[in-house]
Order: sequence, then C-alpha cells, then structure tokens
Amino acid sequence: MNRISQKKGGTRMLLQANEAIARGALEAGVIFAAGYPGNPSSEIIETLAKASRDLPIYVEWSVNEKVALEAATGASFAGCRAICSMKQNGVNVVSDFLTNLSLSGTKGGLVLVSCDDPGGISSTNEEDARAFAPLSDIPLLEPSSPQEALDMARWAFDLSETINNIVMIRSVSRLSHSRSDVQVKDLPDFDVQPYFDTKVSFHTFPIVAKHQARHEKLRMAEELFENSPFNFYRGPSRPELLVIGSGCAVDYAIDAIEIMSLWERVGVLKLGTTWPLPRKLLLENLQKSESILFVEDVDPFIETNVKALAAEAARQVGVKTFHGRGSGDFPLCGELGPSHLLEFFGNYFDLDWKDQEFRNKMGSLTKGKIPPREFGFCPGCPHRGSFYAIKTALAWDDRDGFVSGDIGCYTMGIWPTGFNQVKSVHAMGSGSGIACGYGKLEGFGFDQPVITVCGDSTFFHATIPALVNARFNNADILLVVLDNSATAMTGFQPHPGTGKTAMGQPTQPVDIAALCESMGLEVHVGDPYEMKETARRLYDLMQKQGPRVMVLRRKCALVQGREGGFPYDMHVDQSLCVGEECGCGRYCTRIFRCPGLIWDKEKKKAMIDQVICVGCGICAEICPQGAIKKEAKG
Amino acid sequence: MEQTTVQGQSNLVREVLEKGICVRCGACVGICPYFQYHDGKVVVSDWCQTSTWRCVQVCPRLPYDRASLYDYFYHVNDCTDAIGPHRQVVAARSGDKLVRSAAQYGGVVTALVIFAMEEGLVNSAVLTDRGGDLAPKGVLCSDREAVLGCAGSRYSASAALSELNLAIQAGNDRLAFIGLPCQMEALGRLSLSEPDGQERAGHVELKIGLFCTWALDYRALRSYLKTKGIVEIPKKYDIPPPPSEVFIVETNNGRMEFPLSEVREIVQPGCSVCEDMTAEFADISVGTLEGDKQWNTVIVRTDKGMELFEKALRAGVLEQKEIPSSNLEHLKEAASNKRKRALRARGEESNE
Repeated sequence: MNRISQKKGGTRMLLQANEAIARGALEAGVIFAAGYPGNPSSEIIETLAKASRDLPIYVEWSVNEKVALEAATGASFAGCRAICSMKQNGVNVVSDFLTNLSLSGTKGGLVLVSCDDPGGISSTNEEDARAFAPLSDIPLLEPSSPQEALDMARWAFDLSETINNIVMIRSVSRLSHSRSDVQVKDLPDFDVQPYFDTKVSFHTFPIVAKHQARHEKLRMAEELFENSPFNFYRGPSRPELLVIGSGCAVDYAIDAIEIMSLWERVGVLKLGTTWPLPRKLLLENLQKSESILFVEDVDPFIETNVKALAAEAARQVGVKTFHGRGSGDFPLCGELGPSHLLEFFGNYFDLDWKDQEFRNKMGSLTKGKIPPREFGFCPGCPHRGSFYAIKTALAWDDRDGFVSGDIGCYTMGIWPTGFNQVKSVHAMGSGSGIACGYGKLEGFGFDQPVITVCGDSTFFHATIPALVNARFNNADILLVVLDNSATAMTGFQPHPGTGKTAMGQPTQPVDIAALCESMGLEVHVGDPYEMKETARRLYDLMQKQGPRVMVLRRKCALVQGREGGFPYDMHVDQSLCVGEECGCGRYCTRIFRCPGLIWDKEKKKAMIDQVICVGCGICAEICPQGAIKKEAKG
Repeated sequence: MEQTTVQGQSNLVREVLEKGICVRCGACVGICPYFQYHDGKVVVSDWCQTSTWRCVQVCPRLPYDRASLYDYFYHVNDCTDAIGPHRQVVAARSGDKLVRSAAQYGGVVTALVIFAMEEGLVNSAVLTDRGGDLAPKGVLCSDREAVLGCAGSRYSASAALSELNLAIQAGNDRLAFIGLPCQMEALGRLSLSEPDGQERAGHVELKIGLFCTWALDYRALRSYLKTKGIVEIPKKYDIPPPPSEVFIVETNNGRMEFPLSEVREIVQPGCSVCEDMTAEFADISVGTLEGDKQWNTVIVRTDKGMELFEKALRAGVLEQKEIPSSNLEHLKEAASNKRKRALRARGEESNE
C-alpha cells in the first residue's frame, strides 16, 4: 500500500509539496485527476496514479493540458471532484478553455494546479501563470510550504463548490520539489455517484450576465479570503518595513529576518490567497508601515495590485514607499532567492550581511574542482544519432538549411550536443507550425531546406494540427519525429503511443507513422543509430516537396538501460587514433561529443570513459581512423 | 604565378567553396571527416582545428606553382606545348567490340584499365560510376565487369579522388586512377604535399586522364533536365564535335537534343579557371577523336604510360592509327584556347 493512500489521518508524513497537493486532493475526495507532464508539476499526477492502485479514483495523463482540463471538467459537471495539473506553459494551452469555463462555472469541486518554473530551470520560458487568475476571474491560492500545499489543495475543492467555479493553485519549483513533515487527515470514502443533472447546463450565454456572475463569485471568494488562515501577519505592530509576499519568496524573507535578527523592525504579511486580494486585510496591514517590500515569484503580481489598492485608499493608509521587483529593488526576471533578501535587508538597514562573503568563499573553494558541464544528450541517446544524421543531410544539401525545433530533450539541439542544428524553439508543436510558414515561401524565392523535429509525446500534444495544416495547404515541410517511446524529459510518463496508461493499464497505442499515412503524407521510418542511412534518406526527402514525415524510432537510452541495456563494449585503439592531427582533429570528443568519449590529455588520444559509456556503439561509425572499436558484450 | 598563403580549412572554404569554384575533384574528401561529397557537391560538415591541412595542399583550385609539377613529373620548368609534355599522340581504340559498344567512343580507357588489372600492373582501379538518382561518384573496381560498368562519359564531376583517398586509407595498393585534368592536378599536388603525400601518391600505379573542356554541375543538370520534362535517369550524354552545338541526352524514352548554349549555363564555375584540357599530369590522357566516334585520341606522356600502351597494342587489346594532322591541330588549338580563357578568367597574363 502506497503511504499516500493511507486511509487514516492524524499522523505526520514526510512529503514533497507535489505529493502533499495530491494527498490534499485525496482528502477532499477527488476521484478524477488529469494532467500533462512537465517540470515541476509531474509528481502530482504520478502520485495520484500510484494511489489509484489502492483507491477508487481515476487518473490519466492526457494528450495535452487543454484536454486534461476538459476531461477533469467533464467529471466536475457530473458532480465529481476533479484536479488537473500542469506547468506554467500548460496554463497557456488551457487558457482558451479556461476563460470560457470560468464563465459557465463548474459543479463538482474543480482545481487547476499550475507549478511554475521561476528562472526557467527546466522550461523554455519564464512565466508567471498567476496572470491567468485575474484574466479568467478565478480564485488563486499560493502555498508556501508542503503543509500549506496539502491544506490548500483540500480546501480549494470546498471553495470551488461554494462559488461554483474553478479554483487555481499555483506552486513554484522550489516548493513543488521540497519536502517537509506534513500533518495528514483521514481520507473520505470516495462514494460519489457521478450524475449530470440535465436540468442545468454549462455554457457562457448570456455572456455579459455570466461575466457579471463570475465577478460575484470572485467577490464571494474575497470575503472568504479576508479570514483565511492562509494569510497571516507576523511582526511588531509598527514595523519599519512591512514585507508582503507569497510562496517560497516569503519564506526566504522570514529566514533572512531570522538570520539578521530583524523581528523587532520588520513585519511580514504572508498571503496565501492572492486573487482576489483580501482588500480589508491588506488595508489594515498597510497602515502598519510607510515602507512596503514585496517578495514574490516571478512578476510583480501582488505588488502591482497592492499598489493600485494603496492608491485608491491613499487617504486611509497614507503615502507609502514601495520596494520590490516592480520598483527595481529586485530583478524583474529570474527566481528570487535568499541572497536577494539578505542583500536587501543588509542595504536597507545598513547591516553587514555575510552572504556575499560566503558566496566569495564558496567560489574560491570550489574553483577548478567542479568539472565544466554543458547541456548534453545522455550516452546512448538516440537524439545524438538523429541530429548527427540531420546535420549531415543539411550539410550535403548545402543550401543553408536548418532545424525548426520543439519541446523535449531534443530542444538541446540548439547546443553543441545537437550540433547547433536547431534554430528556433517555442511552444509545444510550434516547430511544425512555424515550418508550415517556411513551407509556403518557395514562391518568393526561399530555397533553404527546413527540417522540423518533434518528439513522440509532442507529436500527440500539438504537432498533429500543424501537420494537418501542412497537408491542407500543401506546405513543403519535412517533419522528423524523434520517437523514443517515452515522454523522456519529464520522467518517462506514458503517452498515446506507448500502449500504457497513467494507471498502468494496457491500451491500443496510436501508431504515429500510420496516423501520418492516413493523412496522405509520405512517411518513412528509420533508426537514429543508422546515421548514414538516415542522412541519405533525409537528403532524398529534402529534395522533395509537400508534407513529408520521417519517424526515427529508438528507445530512450535511459529506458533501454533499464530494459536490458546495450550490446557493446567499447574501446579506442589508441595506436590508430591520430588525435589532434590532420585527418581527425579530435572529431569524436570535439564534434560528436558523446560524454562517453573523453580526451586522454597525456597521450593526446581519445578514450572511452568506461563509467559513462553505455555501449550503444554508434561512435564507431564516426571515427575517421576506425580507432573506436566495438565488441559484443560477453 | 603569385603564391597566396592559404592556411586552414576556413580559407579553403572562403577561397574555393564560397567562391563557387570547387570542381568536385574529391581530393580534400575522405582524408578527414570535415569535407564530404554527396550528390555532386563537396561540402563542409564541421569546422576543423588542426594545423596541417592536407586539404589545402592538394586543392587544384587554390593558387599553386604549376611549374613545380612540370618539374616533378617531367623535369622541365615550363611547357609551351598546348597539350602538355608527352611522348606521342595517336588515335587508338579497343580491339574488343564489346568494350567499344559499352564505351563513349573507342573504349581505350576501359580497355587499358582492364588490361592493367589483368596484367597485374594494378590490383584495382578507382573510376566514376554511372550515378543514378544521385550524382556519379567514385567507385573502387577490381574486376572487368565493374570496370565495364563505369564505361562512358559523365559530363559532370564525381569527386572520385575521395574514393581513392578511402581506398588508400583502407590499405589498398597498386591502384589505378581514372579522372579529369583537375583530378590529375590534385594527384600531382598530392605527391608534393606534407606530411604523407608522397607515400599516399605512391600507391597510385597508373593515372589515366580524360580530356575535359568543362564539367556540368550535376544538381543543376538534374534541375535543367527536369524543366525539360526528363525525370528518369539518362542512359547516356554526348556532345558531338563543333559545329553541332547540341547536348544529347539519351533515355529509355529516346534521344533528346538541347542547345549547348543553355547547357553551358550550368557548367561548374570552377571549370572556367581551369587551364588544363588534356590532363597533363596523367600517364596517359584519352579523349575523343573529332569526326570519328569509333576512335579515341590518346596522348602518352610518361615512360610508364608508354610501356603499358605498347604492351596493350602487342596484346591486341588496343589498335592504333596515326592521328590526322588536322585533328592534332584542332586539339592543340582547343587546349590552347582553354588555357587562354582560364588565364583571362584568373586575371593573369597569357604566356603565349
């Protein structure tokens, strides 16, 4: 039995905040969960999927975030509690549905969880998804600890059912992936009977009336927020500086105040309900100090809205001096960290803060001891072979061709590990959409060949419409599907092509090649390890017109490593290796760059890092001297 | 000729590839991973960082001292003869009708290569294949059938020297190489290159050169033919001697003629700066005999070439006849004109 499924409450568990959100949803009686994987959100659905083995709940990885929220909404309309999770980019994908759904309202408690990635540590963008709460007029909760994540998740369903609208919870990477001791409550019986009451309907008409009703729902939420335990003030009655903030950032502020012994001078208004803002609570607290500091990730969301509030209530609260991201005291971009707070307080109160000294010391101690690492494909990764073949074919073609990229591990094609072939990356499926544009420029004299790439999961998520568009408009696009049979980058979640659901049940896999063929596209299937043959095929396809697809199929190296490993023992015959000399010029370590290939500085020859090399064998093909040898594992 | 210091791959790219004067001889391909030949084009796949640059030393399109090659091969400082240093010029043809029927004209090249193999003078030969969907490319042949499969003229470059480079690297010895004047120049430059040029060139036992006025850019030729409705792979190309001014393409659907003036538009730009029509650095050079499609013009240049040629005559593999003096005059005039055009194109004074 999974501990998340533990029926009995009253105990404490060490939980990651994403697990706590999942547990909170279960304590609220959620029976339906859907999402699309993406860092830092993936563990929510994964945790619930594990719990589905013990509990009568349904969990799915959906084809994309929009479909995930739509599916969860179906459960809500049938009176069930449902949760839907995603990363910040996912909220963009659901936004069209979301802004309409919030007009129609919901029935069973419905909660959307967005886990944002400040700093874009594992994302293609930095984005504050909180903006969608005011855009959609829906309540927004922001936990700042795993315990609060659990409590908010549980309460969010009550709130949703009270106002009959969807509620948004917003976490950030540091919180989603931090663990702490969490108090859990009992799980309910999950004895819900789904039923769609045909006496009611869910749509957006009449629009203005529904819009008005939506604002009324927000007003109800605001009233509840005024007394919410998720908002609290800590500090002196008349602090010199009042900190207002949410999420991890407010914890960093509390830590800094603690470290610098500032509790007699600084007060903190920690907000857990950040849209709509609890107006009365804010006005009451704003009166405590003339100086206000906002701490939040990423955008000045609370800051901007509180400033507006303070302007409206200037007669009541007095003139303020504001500090924060919007006021230029913190950077407008990037993740807020403890150092920012220490530095701010140090400067503001003219204190000697040790943080910079500590960072300098850390830098000098670690200098030269941390090996440089660049973003790179794993040893054995099929993408290395795919990009090598793409690079070769584009070079052969010699018309300054390039790759229109997409989202996945293969986004790293923008870097040397993918031979810098990828020249643009944006949203899921955009690589193919953009390629549709290039594919119609021939009439204007555009003759650079474009290859667009997408992974298997991305193909299902958002590439299909672009491909249909290419077929419809007869765009000259060559799509290479880098099919590694996994949503690899986010942790091997199953997708429509894998033949398995989130709950581990077998399902009919959707065949990418067959689907493309059914659209009347020219489709080829190849093996990324067969680099020369793949390059030849790609070259031939590049000379053709209309929409074409090449599926390069080979399991993710990490999956392959778990499922039987790789066939070869590799070594370099250093008597054949010519190293830096003419004829090679360190081709394997300088150009091919598999981390399993390393440079023997003493002998000035290549060698295999036996710890890193998995034994896929493809580097043997690229050595100009035939010095890289592969032998079948004994 | 003024020597230009050209160092490194980037300069080769700038001076030759980017100027569009690469003639796809293939000399820089197959010795490293950085230059590649595919479908009629030599391209750079990655940037090299070595300091030796054998590629630079063999490229026939980079400025180099041609006199050093005359000196090395013929022990003369210069050559005033338009068709280069030679022992004799005759008309010849294969004694074998089968060979002649496979060949473009008299079948001398095919017959000589097969003979050299059968006599054990060479173990194998690098020739140019017929091409298919893609441009012709070099191919290592070690039997009669394979050589016969390469008979006929391509009218486009094949970078066959890349195949020779690979054959040498793979340990092949006693090789014959059959190629265009630019390729014979590159092979000549190879003999003088460091650090291993002489050794590598030493594996080439026999060099048979082909007369060449220019070669077509294969990709451009394919596009040109496509605009003319030819999408299948042609069986044979031919350019009859002046004044016909046509380019003949034979396919399974018959024979089509196109104005030579149109076809000249897709000649490799690098051919315009080439001063060598008769492959002056080959052992034996072979070309058409104007006015007689059954025969070839053969220029025997070296002792080695002479020995093989005479042996082939004695064995009946080749037949010869005297070349009409008017033909020889035409040949010299054409060769001289090519040289003049090239020197003009390169902005250099003509010696004549």
